[in-house]
Amino acid sequence: MNSVHSTSGMGEHAVEITRVADTQWHAVEDDRVVGRGYASRRPDGRNFLSIDAWHDAVFDQLADVMLRDLPKPLYAVIDEADRDLTSNWERAGFTTRRREWEYLVPTDPRVTGLGSVLPPSGVSIVAVGEAAEGPLRKLDREIRDEVEATVGWQEMPAEVLTRPNGDTLLDPSKYAVAAQSGKYVGLVRVAPVIRQPRIGLIAVRSDQHRRGIARALLAHVLGSLHRCGIETASAEVNESNGAAMALFEGVGARRASSNLELVLR
Amino acid sequence: MARTSDGIEVEGTVIECLRNATFKVELQNGHKVLAHISGKIRKNYIKILPYDRVLVELSPYDLTRGRILYRYRT
Repeated sequence: MNSVHSTSGMGEHAVEITRVADTQWHAVEDDRVVGRGYASRRPDGRNFLSIDAWHDAVFDQLADVMLRDLPKPLYAVIDEADRDLTSNWERAGFTTRRREWEYLVPTDPRVTGLGSVLPPSGVSIVAVGEAAEGPLRKLDREIRDEVEATVGWQEMPAEVLTRPNGDTLLDPSKYAVAAQSGKYVGLVRVAPVIRQPRIGLIAVRSDQHRRGIARALLAHVLGSLHRCGIETASAEVNESNGAAMALFEGVGARRASSNLELVLR
Repeated sequence: MARTSDGIEVEGTVIECLRNATFKVELQNGHKVLAHISGKIRKNYIKILPYDRVLVELSPYDLTRGRILYRYRT
C-alpha cells in the first residue's frame, strides 16, 4: 500500500501524507519524513494509534488522514505529563477513557512494614518459579473469568490482556502463588525488568478476598527482591481499582507517573 | 516504497528523566539532547530509565531535540 492521502500547504509545512502500509502513515516534507503514524491491534481487538511528529501541524494532518482511514472506536496511550501530546490528541477529538498510575514500590521491609506479615492461617506462599504449571494456569483462568464477569479486562492494564490464541499465562516461572489446602487461591507475577522489576499482576480469587492474601504475596515478592539488592519495583494500577491502590499505597508506594488511555468513539 | 527513516539516528545513554515526559540523553559524541519517547514505545509500555542505552532520532529542525525510538537490552 502506498496511497497518497493528502497534499497540503500550511505555510512553512507543506506536507504530503502517505499511507505506506496497512498500519503505517508517513508525513513527507521536502522529500523528508517529518512524521509517522502507526495503528496496532491489541489482543482484545481494539485499535491503538500513535503519531510522532516534529510539529503540531504535522500531527494534525496525520491524525486527520488516519482518522478518516480507520474505523472507530480508536484508542491512544499517552504519558499524562506530556502536555503537548495530550493537547494534540484532544484537538483530534480524543477524550480520556481511563488513567493508570505507575507506582514505585519500595522493597525494604523497614519501609513497607511487611517484614512481619505472614499469610493467613492455612495459606502458604509458593515462591516465584516453584508453582506447578497446571494449577497455576487453572487459577489464572478462574481469576480472569471472575474479572470478565465484572469490570472486564479492558479496564485493566494493557499487559495483562489475553493473547490471540487464548493464552493468558505466558511464563509460569515469573509467578508466586498463595496455596490453601493444596489449591492455588492467589497469584503475583514479577517481570524481571532490568534494574526495576515490574509487578505485572496480583490477584486473589474472589471467595478469598479480604483475608490478607494479596498483602502476603506482596510481602513475599518484595522481600525476595530486597534480598537480591533491588530497592524498588514498579506497578501499574488502574485508577478505578481502589483495592489495588490501597494495597500499594499502604506499603509506601508512591505515584511516579500516569498513563492516559484516550478514545475517539 | 516506504521510507523507513530520513532522520539522523544516533545511540545514546539516558542520563536524566525530566518533567513533561522528557529525557536528557547523552549521545556517543558527547552532545546532550532532550528527547521524548516515540509513540510505539509508549504504546508498548516500555519504560525508559536513567542509564538505559537508547536509539535517538534527532529532529531535522533542531539538533538539540530528539525522539527515543528504541531501548537496547543491556
